Amino acid sequence: MKQILLNIGLVFCIMIVFGPTNAIAQEGLKKINKSENDTLTKIEVAFRTVNEKDLLGGVSVIDVRDLTKKAYSTYSLDFVENIVGGMNGNIWGMDEYLVVVDGNIRDANNVLPSEIDHITILKGVSAVALYGSRAAKGVLQITTKRGYAGDPRISVRANSGIYLPKAYPKYLGSAEYMTLYNEARINDGLVPSYSNEDIYRHASGDNPYRYPDLNMYSPDYLRKFYNRSEGIAEISGGNNRVNYYTTTGYYREGSLLNIGNSSKNSNSRFFVRGNLDIMVGNSIKVQTDANVTFYDAYTAAGNWWSNAASLRPNRVAPLIPLSFLEENDIPSWNTINASNHIIDGKYFLGGTQVNPTNPIADSYAAGDNKFVSRQFQFNTRFDFNLKSLLQGLFFRAKYGIDYASTYNQGYSNQYATYAPTWTNYAGRDMIASVTQYGTDNKTGNQNINNSAYRYTYNFSGQFDYSKTINSDHNFFGMLVANAWQQQQSGQYHRITNVNMGLQTSYNFQQKYYLDFSSALPYSAKLPEGNRIAFSPTLTAGWRLSNEEFFNDNVFDDLMLTLSGGIINQDLDISTSDNTMGYFLYKSILQRGGWYSWADLGGEAATEFQRGDNMNLGFVKRKEINVGLRGSLLDRLINFDFNYFNGKMDGDIARVNSLYPIYFTQVGYPSSSIIPYVNYNVDNRSGFDFSVYLNKKINDVNLTLGVTGMYSNTKAAKRDESFEFSYQTRVGQPINGLWGLQNLGFFSDQDDIDGSPQQQFGDTKPGDIKYKDQNGDNMIDSKDEVFLGRWDTPFRMGVNFTVKWRNLSLFAMGDGFFGGYGMKNSSYYWVRSDNKYSEIVRNRWTEETKNTATYPRLTTTSGGNNFRYSDFWIYKADRFNLRMVQLTYDMPAKALNGTILKGLSMYLGGYNLLTFSKERKHFEMNVGSAPQTRLFNIGLKGLF
Amino acid sequence: MKNIIKSKLALVVLLLFMLMSCQDMFEPAIENHKGEDALYDLPAWATGLLGHAYISNPLGSWSFNDVATDDAVSNDPNNAYRLMATGSWRANNNPMDRWQYLRASWQYLNQFIVVSENVKWAEDPLVSDMFKERMKGDAYGMRALYMYHLLLNHGGWGEDGKLLGIPIVTKPEDLTSEFNLPRNTFQECIDRLYADVDSAIMLLPLDYGAITDDNLVPAKYRSKGVTAGQYTRVFGDNARNRMSARIAKAVRAQAALLAASPAYNQGTTVTWTEAANRMAEVLNGLGSNPIAEIDPKGNQWYTSSSAIESLQAGVNTKEMLWRANKDNSNSLEQANYPPTLFGSGRINPTQNLVDAFPMANGYPISDPNSGYNPANPYANRDPRLDMYIIRNGSTAGSQNTVIKTAADGTDNNALNKTETSTRTGYYMKKLLCQTVNANPSSSTTAYHIKPFIRYTEIFLGYAEAANEAWGPTSGGSHSYSAYDVVKAIRQRAGIGGGDLYLESIKNDKDKMRELIHNERRLELCFEGFRFWDLRRWKKNMTEPAKGMSITNGSYTILPNVEERSYQDYMYYGPIPYGEVIKFSNLVQNKGW
Repeated sequence: MKQILLNIGLVFCIMIVFGPTNAIAQEGLKKINKSENDTLTKIEVAFRTVNEKDLLGGVSVIDVRDLTKKAYSTYSLDFVENIVGGMNGNIWGMDEYLVVVDGNIRDANNVLPSEIDHITILKGVSAVALYGSRAAKGVLQITTKRGYAGDPRISVRANSGIYLPKAYPKYLGSAEYMTLYNEARINDGLVPSYSNEDIYRHASGDNPYRYPDLNMYSPDYLRKFYNRSEGIAEISGGNNRVNYYTTTGYYREGSLLNIGNSSKNSNSRFFVRGNLDIMVGNSIKVQTDANVTFYDAYTAAGNWWSNAASLRPNRVAPLIPLSFLEENDIPSWNTINASNHIIDGKYFLGGTQVNPTNPIADSYAAGDNKFVSRQFQFNTRFDFNLKSLLQGLFFRAKYGIDYASTYNQGYSNQYATYAPTWTNYAGRDMIASVTQYGTDNKTGNQNINNSAYRYTYNFSGQFDYSKTINSDHNFFGMLVANAWQQQQSGQYHRITNVNMGLQTSYNFQQKYYLDFSSALPYSAKLPEGNRIAFSPTLTAGWRLSNEEFFNDNVFDDLMLTLSGGIINQDLDISTSDNTMGYFLYKSILQRGGWYSWADLGGEAATEFQRGDNMNLGFVKRKEINVGLRGSLLDRLINFDFNYFNGKMDGDIARVNSLYPIYFTQVGYPSSSIIPYVNYNVDNRSGFDFSVYLNKKINDVNLTLGVTGMYSNTKAAKRDESFEFSYQTRVGQPINGLWGLQNLGFFSDQDDIDGSPQQQFGDTKPGDIKYKDQNGDNMIDSKDEVFLGRWDTPFRMGVNFTVKWRNLSLFAMGDGFFGGYGMKNSSYYWVRSDNKYSEIVRNRWTEETKNTATYPRLTTTSGGNNFRYSDFWIYKADRFNLRMVQLTYDMPAKALNGTILKGLSMYLGGYNLLTFSKERKHFEMNVGSAPQTRLFNIGLKGLF
Repeated sequence: MKNIIKSKLALVVLLLFMLMSCQDMFEPAIENHKGEDALYDLPAWATGLLGHAYISNPLGSWSFNDVATDDAVSNDPNNAYRLMATGSWRANNNPMDRWQYLRASWQYLNQFIVVSENVKWAEDPLVSDMFKERMKGDAYGMRALYMYHLLLNHGGWGEDGKLLGIPIVTKPEDLTSEFNLPRNTFQECIDRLYADVDSAIMLLPLDYGAITDDNLVPAKYRSKGVTAGQYTRVFGDNARNRMSARIAKAVRAQAALLAASPAYNQGTTVTWTEAANRMAEVLNGLGSNPIAEIDPKGNQWYTSSSAIESLQAGVNTKEMLWRANKDNSNSLEQANYPPTLFGSGRINPTQNLVDAFPMANGYPISDPNSGYNPANPYANRDPRLDMYIIRNGSTAGSQNTVIKTAADGTDNNALNKTETSTRTGYYMKKLLCQTVNANPSSSTTAYHIKPFIRYTEIFLGYAEAANEAWGPTSGGSHSYSAYDVVKAIRQRAGIGGGDLYLESIKNDKDKMRELIHNERRLELCFEGFRFWDLRRWKKNMTEPAKGMSITNGSYTILPNVEERSYQDYMYYGPIPYGEVIKFSNLVQNKGW
């Protein structure tokens, strides 16, 4: 079945790509309902299209088709958080959202901005209700471009850009590391590890092969920048009965690494998308869409960036020149000559017993891997105009099937490294002998692994009816059945959404609005009897500006909406060990673990998981929101404001505080007899806004947009048992950082002796001193308090457009305020055998005790210092300049007589600047590839 | 046109039906879940409840909590016992916690005891009845074992001044049970353990094994007409090394020794005499003269892979009272071999432990008669030193590589050379099979056995209790004394010259006590005994872990490789903090 559908999809795809002009031509049919329009008027919302004017609260729209004319970008969601308010990696402070592309549940990253017509963000309860359970935390709805009647239009875009790394973490070189490591050893009461002579040799750099000073961020291994190139073509057109749109594109980007096989690391993506709208007869419209994406990522073996954060500089010389071998040292030559990996004919691979492999050797000798991802998407839609039954009645149905598969293919090879034993003849270092570690072992076979697939099926059918009486009373009604499922490899169960939706709405002269949107979600995750629920929402709207008393000419439009409702969801009927969430209501007995005796094979053990809870029900999103939208002073200012206040009620939990701890067993074997119940409650409130200022001064058009969202969450009910009131999570933000409060460093032993005892291991002068919150004269985890929110309370976006004649400048930035972070990566928490970063330079020592900013160094795990406390906390306030683009549109008359109908050139910069007290922290990646700035030049032609 | 509409509608309806048939849409896809009531017809599932408790066997794997004592340190900075020993032991941060884990499995045992009554164990009613007895006896025995370990890790003097154990719960609990239960006294817990052992002894044979002669069927079954074949099906070779009457008795002896020890005897009625008798009861099972039955290779059971491999399935050597399955692996060696043998050198024995080994003539190194030379400290020592510990100049591994742990050593075995080097100047040799090659590119494995209870432990337990009860040279009603045991153990170890030291103290109970404690330390080192032995004896827990630094052949003791930061209240482990917060009747041990 799937195969057949796939084939159908491919056939359509081919048809769309190669046959747009051979469309079926019949006579006497009505024009398809779409015209060329620069400004968006018809907005896709849940299962229908509405006029922008009739949008109620809790919905935001982004006209991507228009935006991409002045702002090229590579990711479909680059704009959503900045151009409108209400999103910050989530919608209104909830933790996930549903992405719907053309009515189908799809990944946002598989559609490029150039393919998108507009994006609708459904935020409020009433906006998402019809989509059912899994849309309860908001929907991001992407509508792709479609064709419209007219001559074929061809648009071609070419982009080429360079990625420049922003910053590298700064690690200490060998000599400094060894010196400070010795200091750490002495701090721990141990003898130093490295002799002064050793340190001197590493410092001198005379023989880096014997005394290494490895810097993985050195230009020896990294490029200054790497390239990204892209080409995209779009073809669209149509006539009265058939419209088509098709686009195809390819990009490829390299990587910073420039060593061994890593220098070939690259990603590439090729896609074809097409759609076709056909009027069949007078009353049936058929739409079919297809999309194919090929994504490949090639990487040499090894994990460069995580090694760069952990491999200490003095440990290994990765490449050692053959010239250090004496010509007559036959045994060594025999060993080395047996190696498969003599690099550039000059070097052999160095290693030691403790580091028998290293990332540089990996790049040359450990093989490679290609990640392959293929996506096929197909959907079709029928609109039946049932005017023969009733004027204004439609039946519409759509069906979509997507298939995605990923796998890795490559070679995984083992290799030998060689540890030299050095001698020094007359002041010259020579290799006396070499010891081999590991063996060269090339697997001739290509590995194929991590193969995964995912099917998504979408279906919906609906009857809708609209009627206008006396051009005053506008009625609309819709009954919809909506279902989709996603099946993934390795998962027995499927992600499922099934619901019925009912919407009835009315407005009088577009002045008074009333809308009732509801759903009957069904969830097989819940016990029988609780599987169906009713999710009602009600919205009232009032266009104040249409009232006579409001006749003051300041406001062009002013619309107030009030909305409230309850959405039942089963998204959160899910646990970490049962992510699919089925049968969570049921106590189960299962085979788990294995035991054996008498030297025999043994038997499976039996375990209980969960207790029964036949009352388990939907989690409820309850919310009231208020919207105010309008424009004033002759469209000088447009604004949209939403306030929301609600709660997520009944999140499931095991109420551990009621039962003994041993009702749950962790480790191996594991077990629990505690049931899941609807228990936790989270409160959520806040507001979002977007304000646009449009002004024309002489030839110059100015647009300034400011958007933002403030959101606050509070745990209203939690299962917990704490001894002290300051420990309770109830009443605190759910995204809280908890930890100890520091009181600086212990200055001496007397200070330690006179302070509450810290229960995290040996405490010495130079360790962080903490505040005793409960007065028990001991510092332990009970003294942890709320320190701040790790999420972003206030998020803002700014965008600015200046247009002068054929030149336009677009700039976009975003700001994050009120949140905190914890500096707890290996870059900051330097201990035991970590690599040392420059952060340790200002460590505590007896001499620097008054100015030190970092605790004393230690070779232990440093349990006292390296734990969550406000010592490591930082304010995450920042403003980023996301992009700047300058576009020049060639004047039409300059193109006269050419085949070109339009030509624009643009120059853009992305992720340019960060303004923050913590800029260095925000621009630095530890353990992963560095952040980059992208500078891009592009050309777009219309034919 | 209408026809088209109809046909399209039909298509849509078809699609709808197709979707409806999808699993998880209206009914969850069926999983092979069972409910508790299914157990009665599924004996394999029912036994699995007991199996769950077997997996939780606290003796199941090496804990190496010796690194929290004066015997060893770990070179892993994140080792939980290391962190505990250096000052982070709290009631809410307790690597010694068994409360949650063992009591969770305890609930399974309670459940199993109830369920087993009604399980259809076999078609043959005689066999079914015997299975029922075996299964229940097994569960009672395991419950006694759990009780012993719960008392070890959590028993202690409560804030109310009583010596407390755990709340005794013998019925399966459910969501409506009363949970706010007080802890029973330590003595009540011991009584419960004794009762469970009695049940196990009543229901289980001393040992398992096939029989072929109907006359060998125990009387209580023979009277019902059970044949040798029927008996063998239940109690035959296939049940070897499951809980037996012999094992249950050994558990009882362990518990009695604990209860009679200085840290507990103020709160129990268990005397040294009782402990000695309980130990003797186990030893007497070896034969009429248990001393003669001491396994001559009992202190090196781990050394020969081939000997372990050729051991008949389920059969124990004389040293093994109870053991796990043979296991062909090299993970212990990978963790603990010195670095140049491609190990991580994890467990580093201390100078304290090395100093505890006497000279080959049996004298402690502190004794003027010992002939100990601090400038040549490893010469003429008790052979167990070189058997259990790798010191500077020892050989190890499949190639008999010389290991240089000296501070001026040139390779990674040298003191503190790299993160897998020793921190004390010693590596652990015991428990490792030296034929293993841990080089990842040419690795080999060897057979290992994890003993659950070794006879050496029982012998030393007897010696300890008998010395207290009857003095060094009297065995009470038994034919062997503490002196006899110690002499035999030391002879086996290779103490030569007539063991003059032992002879010199044979009438001094206090010196004999010290010697027995020391023998226990040596014989059972790295096997997880030292931590609780020190506490049971109320000995000094805070002696810092010492090491040895050798430079140019001269020996310098490192006096403080690692602190042992224990407070006095840490003679007893804590009750989990979270439970004390939740349940007002649960009394915490003093000081925690």
